[in-house]
Amino acid sequence: MKAFIALPVVWVFLTLAVFFMAQRLHKRLGWAVTTPILVTILVLILFLSLFDIDFETYDNGGKFLSFFLGPSVVALGVLFYEKLDEIKSNLMPFCIAVFVGGVSSILSLIFILMAFKAPDVLMRSLAPKSVTTPIAIEIAKSVGGVPSITAGIVIAVGIFGNAFGINILKLLGITSKTAIGTALGTASHGIGTARALEESKLSGVYSGLALCVNGLVTAVVTPLVIDWILV
Amino acid sequence: MLKSLSVIFLFLVVGEFVTYVFKIPIAGNIIGMVLIFLALKFKMIPLEMVKPASDKLLKYLVLFFVPYGVGLMVHFETIKEHWLSIGLAVLGSTILTLYLTAFLQEKLEKK
Repeated sequence: MKAFIALPVVWVFLTLAVFFMAQRLHKRLGWAVTTPILVTILVLILFLSLFDIDFETYDNGGKFLSFFLGPSVVALGVLFYEKLDEIKSNLMPFCIAVFVGGVSSILSLIFILMAFKAPDVLMRSLAPKSVTTPIAIEIAKSVGGVPSITAGIVIAVGIFGNAFGINILKLLGITSKTAIGTALGTASHGIGTARALEESKLSGVYSGLALCVNGLVTAVVTPLVIDWILV
Repeated sequence: MLKSLSVIFLFLVVGEFVTYVFKIPIAGNIIGMVLIFLALKFKMIPLEMVKPASDKLLKYLVLFFVPYGVGLMVHFETIKEHWLSIGLAVLGSTILTLYLTAFLQEKLEKK
């Protein structure tokens, strides 16, 4: 049995199968907490814990899937190009808003963790918490964070933005559809953007571009900030 | 499809090379992402040259980071030990980012 579960195909198959079923479930229910990625990860962790299988064994197969994260991040560049085409006017205020939002996300997270005297590795792992998971993972790797902690928290942030972002903004007096979209994309990446798209087409477009721009901003700024604050 | 996939991997390799040679603290695939964006923006390559493969990759993007998410199981102890500071930092920082971004966008776009 040990030799069998060491086979990569076992885990590639299981991941595909669970992900497929999670997508079906999400299509039927449509709740923020049934986001396929969250359900898939929870089911897999539960499965591995239940049968007392360690993560290294799973990753024998898992690494064949995560390998494709590399070319997928490059593909995001193509997506950015297409998104940028969708917004013709008002680019400057938009870029300022996303830049300030993105940088304050990194700084506020680090300062709050410092106030709690949390270990360095948490700041390095969570500084990119607002950007799309593949980019956040790469940032965490390059600043000495733990990519798995990053991935878990980034997904949680997305779900939070998706479920509560619009209510929080409206409560704080924000009414503009473009502002709601920009904020959701900047603070809670693709999962938040899914909610912006439900709000209105305009919010969705701004949110999609905001997640792109903040991905870039955070990729460039995080190593600088980490270098500057944590030595 | 094969051509567009080759082009994407070309940008990935170039990105890794740039990171390697200049020792930049930014991941090679992020450099590749910026380079492919610039190449498209300045019409050095046509969109059709990369779109087939990039659309396919993006369609399954979520699947590719499942293993990192599962890897969280190794770090349960760290999370458990610091759950309160993590929770407050992530919550506070996310709400601040949401509000600040929305506030600026709303104020600036009206001018």
